[in-house]
Amino acid sequence: MSTREQILLDPTAEISPVMTPHIARPGSLDGLTVGLLDIAKQRGVEFLDRLDELLSERGITVKRYKKERFSKLAAPELLKQIKEECDVAVEALAD
Amino acid sequence: MHDIKGLETLGVPSVGIATTEFVDAAEVQSKYLGYNTAVVFVAHPIQDRTHAELQGLADKAFEEIIGKISGG
Amino acid sequence: MEDIQDGLIAVVKRDCPTCELIAPILGEIAEQCGPVTVYSQDDPAFPEQVAGVIDDRELEHSFHLGIDIVPTLIHVQNGAETARLIGWNRDEWQEFTGLESLGADFPENRPGCGSRTEEPGMQYRLVARFGNSGLAARRIELPPEADLEEICYERGWTDGLPVVPPTEERVLAMLDGTRRAPSEVIGLIPPNLIECTVEKVAINAVMAGCSPDYMPVVLTVIEASLIPEFGLHGILATTNAIAPVVMVNGPIAKQIGMNAKRNVFGQGNRANATIGRSLQLVVRNVGGGLPGEIDRAVFGNPGKYTFGFAEDEEDPHWTTYAEDQGFTRDQSTVTLFPGDGVTPIIDHMSRTPEELCESYVNALLATYNRRQVNEVSVMLVIGGEHQQVFYKAGWSKQDLRDYLDERLVIPVRDIVPGRSGLGGLTEEEKADPDRLIPKFRTGNFNIIRAGGAAGKYSAIISAIGSKTGLRPVTKEIVL
Repeated sequence: MSTREQILLDPTAEISPVMTPHIARPGSLDGLTVGLLDIAKQRGVEFLDRLDELLSERGITVKRYKKERFSKLAAPELLKQIKEECDVAVEALAD
Repeated sequence: MHDIKGLETLGVPSVGIATTEFVDAAEVQSKYLGYNTAVVFVAHPIQDRTHAELQGLADKAFEEIIGKISGG
Repeated sequence: MEDIQDGLIAVVKRDCPTCELIAPILGEIAEQCGPVTVYSQDDPAFPEQVAGVIDDRELEHSFHLGIDIVPTLIHVQNGAETARLIGWNRDEWQEFTGLESLGADFPENRPGCGSRTEEPGMQYRLVARFGNSGLAARRIELPPEADLEEICYERGWTDGLPVVPPTEERVLAMLDGTRRAPSEVIGLIPPNLIECTVEKVAINAVMAGCSPDYMPVVLTVIEASLIPEFGLHGILATTNAIAPVVMVNGPIAKQIGMNAKRNVFGQGNRANATIGRSLQLVVRNVGGGLPGEIDRAVFGNPGKYTFGFAEDEEDPHWTTYAEDQGFTRDQSTVTLFPGDGVTPIIDHMSRTPEELCESYVNALLATYNRRQVNEVSVMLVIGGEHQQVFYKAGWSKQDLRDYLDERLVIPVRDIVPGRSGLGGLTEEEKADPDRLIPKFRTGNFNIIRAGGAAGKYSAIISAIGSKTGLRPVTKEIVL
């Protein structure tokens, strides 16, 4: 049993797609603030530092955030803070 | 992936970055969440890389990240 | 049917004494008639007398071959079955195989055993896995290790409590609880007015925790909820605390084990707990009625998870609520009414109907507001020991009703602007301060019986109500 895919029957009106598409993108990053969220795995910060540099070179504002621990979900307050302070976000680096 | 979905639920377009080791896992997670998260993959491994190599990975992924986050 | 090879096929299981008995015979047939394809349902090492036994512990072959008894012997020619034997009968097997002395020293006849495909619930599992259930609902494929209960939360399918994951196997079992076709449309579910099929009801009934024998009740609940006078959309969308309350009358209540007695509005009974929840889940998942969105309740009430019970019909002297609505005691019915909570009436002292009514009148007049007559409705629930007071005094339910109706009145001078104040009163009524206005001028004052036999309590289930909408509705359950 444990190696077989499991199937559930949809209890809803089936109006929404099985896979919700990601939300709309802004089209360009000009004038926007990018949040860089560190998942708190070792070495990830070096990768993020470089992204930070590359974005800044293009004149894009960058803000940095860090999760408490990579294996835990980001705290709702942290997500809310990112929402308040940024337009888009990048989370790295899962390895 | 949960965080990406969480951020997008709040209205913040987001992209996750993972190594190629996670291609399958990301697909499964995405299915599990019923949410099409945007992910950019960089070459595995990470931990034993030199600093320069890590920067190289970021350089290489940069345009794809910009593309997936801005849609432009 | 899968492609099958010409020749003989035998399906057996070690657990069957007849199969054990004829194991050497299968060996003999294999030796003399050429290849025999043997499927073993429980032990691929059985029977030892035949080489190359095919492991059918998953029952895929048995399912496709339509096996219900083991041993079964099938003859296949040109890829199609031409004959089959079940159990052991010496003459039949000899004729079938053309081996005249086959099993000459074996007993003449032995019945077979049930195939593993016939184990309880197995058919549903096998149809779901290997067959075509014909169900229309979208299938959501999930990885093997996925935690299905959590997925149901993730997808927003639950009321906050865990639901039973709606696997195809469970939904098929649920649909066996009704004769109605899965594709039959029950009605349009508010608020989004979505067509709801029997199949969608079954899926949500699985999630609510129903047993398949509740299906006729659940389907009738959904149908009754769509009767316009009930006002499901209003009940869902209002800022009021009301929820649909489900009451079941008639023989089916006992058949499915509903509780009408002790702790009748409380926890502990599967049917009471899950039937009302099915309606809530259908409204949520099919109709799209979500709290905080279309559901604007300021408080809500715990009955919005589920609220269901059976009326206590044991004493024959009083009519049941369903009888009051023109049904007989042999008919099973569902009654739906709005309710926002249970208020007990505690009276341990009264020994006469008149004394008890004094308590009832004061409690009932106070419903919502002592000075409110508009848009208020109640179910007065007479508890077990209070019932005895009326029975002993020879009061019928109508006697009680008449007695209370006379006293459930408020003089115009006492009706003050409250919920809707004097609105609804005619100019003529307003002109006379001494005029007595019925507390339940909506007509929504009803008397039912329920609750434990020991303890001198009755109860009020209150709700907003009106003359035209938000009214109790009753519908017969057709099996």
